[in-house]
Amino acid sequence: MMSDEIDFDEILGKYHSDPYEYVDIYASHTGRIHFLIKEGDEVDAVSGEWNHIPGTALFEITRERNPKNVTATTNGVVSVLCDEFEGKFVEAGEKLMTIRHPLKKKEIIESILKEVLYVFPAPERAKYFFSLDVQSRVDKKGAREVSVKPGDEIIIMSLMKRDTPVYYSGEQGVIHSVYFKPGVSVERGEPLIGICPSEKLPIIQKIINKVKAEWDKND
Amino acid sequence: MNNNLSLLIPSILDDYVATVELPWRRKESALDSETIFRYGAFAGSVIRVYPSLVRAMDTARSHIRACEESGRSVANGSLIIASTLSLSKGRFSRTWHAPPGGLWGCLLVADTFLPQFRNFLPLIPGIACCEALHQEGASVAAIRWVNDVLLEGKKQAGFLIEGFCSPVYKENYHLLGFGLNINNESFPPELLETAVSLSQVLNRPVELSSFALSFLAKLRYYLGLLLYEEEQWLARGGGDEYLDDHPIIQRWKELSDTLGKRVQFGYDVMENPQYEALVSDLAVDGGLILRHDDGTSSVEHSGEIRYCEK
Repeated sequence: MMSDEIDFDEILGKYHSDPYEYVDIYASHTGRIHFLIKEGDEVDAVSGEWNHIPGTALFEITRERNPKNVTATTNGVVSVLCDEFEGKFVEAGEKLMTIRHPLKKKEIIESILKEVLYVFPAPERAKYFFSLDVQSRVDKKGAREVSVKPGDEIIIMSLMKRDTPVYYSGEQGVIHSVYFKPGVSVERGEPLIGICPSEKLPIIQKIINKVKAEWDKND
Repeated sequence: MNNNLSLLIPSILDDYVATVELPWRRKESALDSETIFRYGAFAGSVIRVYPSLVRAMDTARSHIRACEESGRSVANGSLIIASTLSLSKGRFSRTWHAPPGGLWGCLLVADTFLPQFRNFLPLIPGIACCEALHQEGASVAAIRWVNDVLLEGKKQAGFLIEGFCSPVYKENYHLLGFGLNINNESFPPELLETAVSLSQVLNRPVELSSFALSFLAKLRYYLGLLLYEEEQWLARGGGDEYLDDHPIIQRWKELSDTLGKRVQFGYDVMENPQYEALVSDLAVDGGLILRHDDGTSSVEHSGEIRYCEK
């Protein structure tokens, strides 16, 4: 939530003392688990020019004789492995491991911004692009000059040649951050855009400057 | 040649399904065709034929809006057909030439599908069109992922689905736009190399309303099959993901020439081709499995392809 009273020291202190993101990995559906890594292993994220090289295989989940390898989407170290589930049948949503992902300065800024902006998430795994009207306003004036309000058709979700308008629900404001790229798939629940009331833009800029300055000073 | 579409009325479509399509399905398929057709019977339950429209999709939106503003809901499965469209377009504002002789229109489908099954919807019009072409004698018809229909390598039919949230009741609709080149034989210069009509391939005119009945009956069947399989899956226990081999996917694979082809892929492949790869399979959810030159594979759920070789 946006607040005028942001304790920069506390936020920065938190990231300085522990500059990691802890990514929990869950079972996407029921099935029998076989781990393919062990605690302490380094894992790689998906890579390649078209994100076509899968990340490190983390575990195999088998349902109805249908095995599926689940791979890492973020790089880091396996800090927690719930190896009590090895060979066992788990329910969907069971936590299986945690990956400790080292944050870069840009990621820290984005992470802080996600705490203070209203983040509008992707409703489905799909590709997204701005609606024609929003895109023309973004092209003309830049995203941060484009104001959106609840009910506006802002984004088109494209999946299997089915284009569905996505209507904005959230605080009225301007588009501060755009997290999707045209033609690149976004997972369900991942942020699409970050919205900020226009009067709060100066404080957002202050956060960015402060993080950059503090981080560079300490580096 | 008879391009008169005014004969297209729901009762004639019902008769066609009962006397032609259902007996054929019973012979060809082990599935419960009668139940499937009952589930799909909403498609074409109302048919409006216009001599000309600007865009059928726009008319569909206006129709939904007008119904709701007068206190009614639009009939699910309403079909809008026009003999000609003056400002039709494909995806990304591409030109779509829609003169008399073709089959142009839009089917309104209320979004009552489970999320796990929505991905199969865009595969349906390509299958229905391809089957109708085969029955008409164009055995070379094949589907290019997702739902382009090609005759001798040229595009004979294109489909696009746009979501629409109704203004009053906030119901979600899929507007299934279709454009089929049937008897129209002249194309603008920019489409000459890539578009073709059925009559050009068969070297004879085609009875347009008969072809339309066949296409619509097949649309009914596959829309019904989508709902039927939802019910069967729920009866089997359902779940978070649908991992079965859907009969729509099976049929798509039988009718497509995409598998095994080397393709260019791009979100807008005409303007911005992104990479080349080999199509190795179709995923259970309809995604395209592509094998890259470095041996890795990826699955694409959005975007389009063009074949690299003729």
